[in-house]
Amino acid sequence: MPDRHADVDAQKGTTPSFGGRARQAWTIAKVELRRIFFTKRGIGVYVLAVLPALAFLGHGIDAKLQIDRLTRRGLVDAARMNSIQQGDTLEDVKARVGKPAEERWSVRTRRVRQRSANGGTTTHVIEPAVDARFVRLNITRPTYSGDAIARIYEFEVYEPDGSRNLALGRPAKGSVPCSPDQGPEKAVNGSVSGGKTDDWCSDDWPLFLQVDLGATHPVKRFVVKHASAGGESDDFDTREFNIQVSMDGKTFTTVTASAGVGYVDERTEYRMLIYSDGRRVAQLHFVDARLDSMSIEPLLNFEDDRMIFAGIFQYFYLRLAIFFGCLGMFMYLFSGEMSNRTLHYWFLAPARREVLLAGKYAAGLIASAVIFSGGALLAFAAMIWPHDPVEVQAYWNAGGMTQAFWYAMAAALGCVGYGSVFLAVGLYIRNPIVPAAVLLAWEGASGILPHALQKISILYYLQSLCPVPAPMGRDAPMLIRLLAAPAAPASRPGAMLGLLLLTALVLWIASRAVRRMEISYGAET
Amino acid sequence: MTAVIFNEVSKFYGEVLGVNRVTLNVPPGITSLVGPNGSGKTTLMNLMTGLIHPDHGTISMRGISPRDPEALMRITGYATQYDTAPRWATGFTFITTGLLLFGYGRAEAEEKAWKALERLSLTDAANRKVAAYSKGMRQRVRLAQAIAHDPEILVLDEPLNGLDPLVRAETIALFRTWAGEGKHVIISSHVLQEVDLISDQVVLIANGMIVAEGTIRTVREEIQEHPSQYLIRCRDASDVASRLFSEDHVSEIRLNDDRMGLLVMTRDREQFARALGRIALDGHRIDGVVPADENVDALYEYLIGGE
Repeated sequence: MPDRHADVDAQKGTTPSFGGRARQAWTIAKVELRRIFFTKRGIGVYVLAVLPALAFLGHGIDAKLQIDRLTRRGLVDAARMNSIQQGDTLEDVKARVGKPAEERWSVRTRRVRQRSANGGTTTHVIEPAVDARFVRLNITRPTYSGDAIARIYEFEVYEPDGSRNLALGRPAKGSVPCSPDQGPEKAVNGSVSGGKTDDWCSDDWPLFLQVDLGATHPVKRFVVKHASAGGESDDFDTREFNIQVSMDGKTFTTVTASAGVGYVDERTEYRMLIYSDGRRVAQLHFVDARLDSMSIEPLLNFEDDRMIFAGIFQYFYLRLAIFFGCLGMFMYLFSGEMSNRTLHYWFLAPARREVLLAGKYAAGLIASAVIFSGGALLAFAAMIWPHDPVEVQAYWNAGGMTQAFWYAMAAALGCVGYGSVFLAVGLYIRNPIVPAAVLLAWEGASGILPHALQKISILYYLQSLCPVPAPMGRDAPMLIRLLAAPAAPASRPGAMLGLLLLTALVLWIASRAVRRMEISYGAET
Repeated sequence: MTAVIFNEVSKFYGEVLGVNRVTLNVPPGITSLVGPNGSGKTTLMNLMTGLIHPDHGTISMRGISPRDPEALMRITGYATQYDTAPRWATGFTFITTGLLLFGYGRAEAEEKAWKALERLSLTDAANRKVAAYSKGMRQRVRLAQAIAHDPEILVLDEPLNGLDPLVRAETIALFRTWAGEGKHVIISSHVLQEVDLISDQVVLIANGMIVAEGTIRTVREEIQEHPSQYLIRCRDASDVASRLFSEDHVSEIRLNDDRMGLLVMTRDREQFARALGRIALDGHRIDGVVPADENVDALYEYLIGGE
C-alpha cells in the first residue's frame, strides 16, 4: 500500500513546466473564446467594431451614386469646365461649356419702395381747372416709416397759367402743430431750406392743412414739398393724402388723391448649374444670369477621406469603440462567471490562478483584437474602395500598406491595454458604470495631464502608434483642443514598449487580486 | 502527511462569523461533516479547496496548502452544491474539458471522462446539455467531475442529496471502495442517520463550531452524556422538584424565586421525559417544558431525534 501511494504522488505531484502551464492557459482560452464570441453582449461589441466601416461604405456608395447620376446626364470637357470665370453670363457659359448636368433656379421677389427722383416734391395737376377760395390738404398716412407725425415743408397752389403761387403768404390753419414754431404758416412761407422747423408739423388727428386764398381763383396745379425736400429722411415723406377745394370753407370737394410714392416688386433670379467632368463637380451660382460664385470640388477626395478616417479612428474607434468593447468583453470574464455561479469550476482546476488569468486574458485579447483590428481594416478598405484605382495604387506604393498595418496594430494594442485594465477592474468592482466613467474621464483628459501622469493612460501610447495624426480644426474651442489634443507622441517602439509595460503592471495587479479572490455566490450554507 | 489538518481556522463573512477556531485532524477514510443548514459545512469544504481563504489559522491537505491549487487540485476533487454548469457544456464535454487542464491528452481525457460517467450511470445522458439535466443528474455529473481524475481527497458537499435509492447505494459503495484505497472521502450531510453507518468518523458542527468529533459511537455518547437543562413552568414547583430529585439521572435542580418554575439538569433526556410524564399523571399541573441548553440539545433533536 505505501509503495502504491508514493507512486501516485510522484505521478501527480510533479510541478508542471512552463510549457504545461501554457497548455493549461490555452485550454482555458479555447473554452473562453467560445463564450466570448457567441454571447449576447458580443453583439454590441460587433456593432461598435463595424460602425466606421458602415459609415465609410455609406459614404462610398453615396459618392458612386452621385458620379453615376452625373455621368448619365452628360459629362463635359475638363478644359471647358476650367474656363468658367467669375462674371460670365448664363448664356456665355451654356454656349461654351454645354448643357449642364443639373440646373436649378429660383426667383426671389421683394417689395421695395420706389425711390422718387423728385427730391421729396410731388406735383398734382387737375384737369380741368376748378374755382377755389379755400384749399385743404388732408393727410391720411403721414409717413412711410410708420411715424405718426405729418411734415409738410411747403404747399403751393397755382393758377392755370402757372405763374403765381396763390398760397404763398396766405393765412393758413391746420391740426395742432408739434411745436409753436412749426405752425401752418411755415407751409406757405415760400421756403424749405430753413432747417427742421421750416415746416408745418402735426400729430393731432385728423391731420389737415388749410389755406385761405383770399378770393376765388381758378386752380389747376398743386405742389407739395414733403420731409425730404426739407432735408429730412425720405422715410418721413407723406405716404397718403388728398387735396380738397371749397368756395365757402365749409363744403369741400376732393380734386386729387395721392398714394404718394409707391412700391414695386424687385425680382432677383438665382440659378445654379452643375457640371461634371467625371472627376470633379462644378457648382455655378448665377444671380440675374451673371456668375456670382462657383466651386469646383473633386467628387471623391482621397486625401480628405484619409484625414476623416484618421479622425474617426482616433476620436471614435480608439477612444470609444475599443474602450467600451473591451469593457464589455473583459470586465465580465470573472464577474460574469461569478454571477452565473460557474467560476468555482475554474478555481477547482489544478491550475494556478495566474494561469487562469492568463487564459482568460488571452481569450479576451484574441477575440477583441480579431474583432477590432478586423473592424479597422474593414473600415480602411471601405474608405479606399470608391476611389480611383490609379490614385489608390500610388498611395499603396507610398506606404499605404504600412498605414493600414499600423491602424490594425493600434487597434490590437488598444485591446491589449484596455483589456488588461478592464480585466483588473472587473476583479475589484462588479458594477461597470462607475469605473467606466472614471476611466473614460481619465483617458479623455490625458492630453492635459502632466507628462508623468500621461504615461499611465492607454491612449497616450495608442496615439503615438496611429500613422496619421488626428485632424483638429484650427477654430475648435480651446477646451476641446486641450481634451482631444494628442499627447506628446513618443517614438513608436517606445510607445509599444510603454504600453506593454503598463499592461504587464496592470496584469500583475490583477494576478494579485485573482489569487486573493474568493467564491461568493450570495447565499452560503 | 496523509491527513487533512485544520489548525485554529476562522473565517468571517464581513461581520458574520463563518467558522470559528476550527481545529481538525481528519485521517483517510469516510468522514462526515454533520450539522444543520447554515452551520458552516460548506464553508469548511470551501476552505479545504481554496475557494475561500481563512482569516486566521492554517489548513493542510495532505501537506499541501489550499492556496496552491496547482498541486492541491491534482489530488483533490470537490463536488460542490452549486447547482450550475457552463451553458455550453454537455455532461461529456464538461468533464473532458476539466480533465484537459490536468495535462491529459484528448484521448486519455475522453476515456477518463467516459469512465467517470459510467461509474455514475450517466452514459445515456453524456451528450446532452448539463443545463437540461434533472436535479439528480446534475448532482451525479458534479460527482463524476470530482472523481474523474482519480483524486486522493474527495470533498463532496451533500453528495447523497437528490439521488434515487439505487444510485445512492451504488454511490455509498463507491465511497467505501475509495476509503478502502486509503483516500479521504469527506462528505457533508444535515441528517446524521444518513451517514452514521457509512462513516469512519463524524464531525458534528453547529454555528461554525465543532461540537463533537470522532467515530459515530463516541459522538453519540458524547451527546448523550452531555447534561442538558430544562426549564419547567408549574404551580407547585417545590413538590415537582422533590419528585424529580429522587430520579438518579437528575443531577441538579434550582427553584425559581417566584416558586413557579424550576431549572433541572439531567443526564438522560428520555428518562427525564418519562419521569415528567409520571409526575403529570399524578396530578401535578405542568405548564411548559423548555430546553434551556439550546445549542447541543437542539442539535441533538435536529440530527437524531428530529423530524
